[in-house]
Amino acid sequence: MLGKPKGTQTPASAEFQAFTEAAQRGILVLRECQDCGELHHYPRAHCPFCAGRNLNWREASGRGRLYSFTRMPGERRAVAPAIVDLDEGLRLNTVVLDADVHRLAIGDAVQLRFQPDPQGTPRLAFTTPEAEAARAYSARAFEAVDADREGFAASCAPAPVDTVAVVGGGNMGIGIATAFLKTGISVMLMDQNADALAGARARIAETLERDVQRGRLAADHAALRIAALETTTDMTRLASADLVVEAVWEDMALKQQVFADLDRLARPGVCLCSNTSTLDIDSIAAATGRPDRVVGFHFFNPAHVMRLLEVVRGKETSTETLALATQVGMRLGKVAVVVGNAHGFVGNRLMIAREQEAGRLLLEGALPDQIDAVLTRFGMPMGSFEMQDMAGGIELSYRARQARGEKSPVIDRLFEAGRLGQKTGKGYYRYEPGRKRPLVDPEATAIIEAASAAEGIERRRIDGAEIEDRLILPMINEGAKLLAEGIAARASDIDVVWQTGFGWPEWKGGPMYYADQLGLAEVHKRLSSLQGAQGVRFSPAPLLTELAAKSATFTAIEAT
Amino acid sequence: MGALADAGLSLADVDGYFCGADAPGLGGFSMAEYLGLTNLRYMDTTETGGSSYLLHVSHAARAIATGQCNVALITMADRPLAANAGPVLAGVDMSLVPERDFASPVALPPVFGYAQIARRHMYEYGTTPEQLAWVKVAASHHAQHNPHAKLRDVLGIEDVLASPLVADPLRRADCCVVTDGGGALVVARPEIAKGLKRPLVKLAGAGEAMKHNAAGRMQPMHSAGVHSAARAFAEAGVAPGDIRYASLYDSFTITVIMQLEDIGFCEKGQGGRFVADGNLISGIGKLPFNTDGGGLCSNHPGNKGGMTKMIEAVRQCRGEAHPAVQVKNHDLVLAHATGGLMSSQHMAGTVILEAE
Repeated sequence: MLGKPKGTQTPASAEFQAFTEAAQRGILVLRECQDCGELHHYPRAHCPFCAGRNLNWREASGRGRLYSFTRMPGERRAVAPAIVDLDEGLRLNTVVLDADVHRLAIGDAVQLRFQPDPQGTPRLAFTTPEAEAARAYSARAFEAVDADREGFAASCAPAPVDTVAVVGGGNMGIGIATAFLKTGISVMLMDQNADALAGARARIAETLERDVQRGRLAADHAALRIAALETTTDMTRLASADLVVEAVWEDMALKQQVFADLDRLARPGVCLCSNTSTLDIDSIAAATGRPDRVVGFHFFNPAHVMRLLEVVRGKETSTETLALATQVGMRLGKVAVVVGNAHGFVGNRLMIAREQEAGRLLLEGALPDQIDAVLTRFGMPMGSFEMQDMAGGIELSYRARQARGEKSPVIDRLFEAGRLGQKTGKGYYRYEPGRKRPLVDPEATAIIEAASAAEGIERRRIDGAEIEDRLILPMINEGAKLLAEGIAARASDIDVVWQTGFGWPEWKGGPMYYADQLGLAEVHKRLSSLQGAQGVRFSPAPLLTELAAKSATFTAIEAT
Repeated sequence: MGALADAGLSLADVDGYFCGADAPGLGGFSMAEYLGLTNLRYMDTTETGGSSYLLHVSHAARAIATGQCNVALITMADRPLAANAGPVLAGVDMSLVPERDFASPVALPPVFGYAQIARRHMYEYGTTPEQLAWVKVAASHHAQHNPHAKLRDVLGIEDVLASPLVADPLRRADCCVVTDGGGALVVARPEIAKGLKRPLVKLAGAGEAMKHNAAGRMQPMHSAGVHSAARAFAEAGVAPGDIRYASLYDSFTITVIMQLEDIGFCEKGQGGRFVADGNLISGIGKLPFNTDGGGLCSNHPGNKGGMTKMIEAVRQCRGEAHPAVQVKNHDLVLAHATGGLMSSQHMAGTVILEAE
């Protein structure tokens, strides 16, 4: 007998087809026997109880409760294998996913959430009502960002952008140029250093080539896109640009000088965007004769990958400029959130609050892996210190502190020991050659312990709950300050920023939504108690105090 | 060959051959050819995962009793490590399982099923991580005397609790080892066995039972072992209290606790308390188990522990286990295995052996 020719598959049963069709509509169907009345899952052509063949389809409610579950440690995605008791009385082996799987308990309510397998066939899975509510909130939060863009565009239609000048051929300039090229917009990448430009061109070509290899981009499209890249040291070429994005070194004097040049060389009316992450956009705008056309364009590294774009609105920035900036952001495939001009803007402002506390926890007795485990358990894709090691945060922080004449007992010692992160094979952790998995390193532990001793701090055991509160609550508090200052227009903008720029899970909404779920009175109580133990840096923000007192929420406040 | 030599028999004496899907090729054909079995008149290739070889012992005894063969050879061998196969069963293709299309989108290795049993057991009966750890600790006490054991260090409760979580609440130390390996058993007609110069071990009783998802009505807190054990005890005419040694399937620590209850060594829900304080350690506790170190510490060849469970039960029944772990009264011993996934489809096999 000959074998089946390769590539043919067993045809799907009629039951499977009906089941899948319903699943594609998000409905779980069960089989109901008309002879004996019994229901069964995994539909067949007969009743497994009475062998009858008079069977109906019945739609299940899709709701059930957890009989038992476990967790899959090491999975980036939140997945919990589970046994679920359906409301209809059937007990199924399945999974709970895209939910806070670390806070599940036997008896918890779950609801249907079919998942496509690699072939696109919907497969049975469940999630929690809390996660579904957070996702519904997240959808509204993204709609609000879209509505802002449409609002700006309605008042003044943005000018077309065909050619963008990216000024500065460093890491960010390269990422930004790549992002524009991928969108089909022509790029002039400018730098005074011809060698830097050659290197930048090579890296951009490499990124596009990788996309071709992975099948994300057709080879002829990649060729067109690389042909749309001009690298030049000639700043007078700026006259051909419809939009200018500056990405030079983060230094105010330098940026002001560059913006004076941009103002002189770019056509009148062309928007000048600064990819600053820390500097005052108004001071930069003041170096030009068109402050209304200056806006911050805060990309996240790598700029061609990260979805978030903070559009920083200066004092003079016009609606027309915001309309253009948000429109360009959308064309780039970014979520462009308009934020106010303040140190760290929105995303980094919350991150700084968290990271400062993470550093203090190290000195008081926690270790990097313990803190990171709390954050990943909380739902973040990566912990503070693993991220620092990946992004070269030790070196950045060391150099920034050196420039300001500040000391850090941990970071300075790590830097001196050549522990700069993944790229040197060790930082807060150590790394096996070619591996990215962080490993606890006794040498780093010794440095941290010595730093505590040098600071005269007696190390103590700090439990996970305290670590979580001390990392997350200051973010919420900082968010409350941003709202009060008008830096963030609405709480949901802060949440969108943290979802798209920092990996806050959609099933947890965002820091402000999370605060509302905890209850602002509870947040206030915990911050007050931390303030008692730790000092004024935990003092609840006035807005938080006000809302907590009247049992209000952050996310119900209307945008101003 | 070793099993036949131990019995004082030769390949020519073998007229019944038993194997699982780990045997390469179609059924037992290739193994029979490879070994040089030329007098076969009976073959059984029952495959039920880890419990296969216990079922083979029972099937062999029944084939002999009905005159279909005289000397049965049972073999198993697999190299999951060498083949880098992961937790799969050799020769078993799960890709066309029909119910798979209606189940989870995530591939779930067995540990997740057993972890869910453990969590539910903790929830319903108050079983603790320390009690689970006692099972591993007992196995480690036995493994120290086995030069072939993969893990020979004696562990304490705190050692087990310090090992990382693999599938909450199960830790790495709650899981069996993964090893290459194999084994063989010979079952012979009593008249033949009496002529051999080896201590006689009689199959006093055996039972098998299956459970599956029952179209959405599974009851994971009871395994099929409830029924396989009851059948074996009925056939042997003895009770759990008569058993002095038990080889228990130990894919995970919770597997042992569940089976102790289902076999009837203690009441349902009392398994955690039963294993505490070294009750499974030979020389200390009331019911020594897996005195070779079991799957938890010694070996788990081919992701199947049934063969080694049988071998150690025979050693105990003959009084040939390591002197440090040999039980004194070894007239009646039991071997029990759960093949498949206890939280879903599985087949339990129970064998009771009696020294003659």
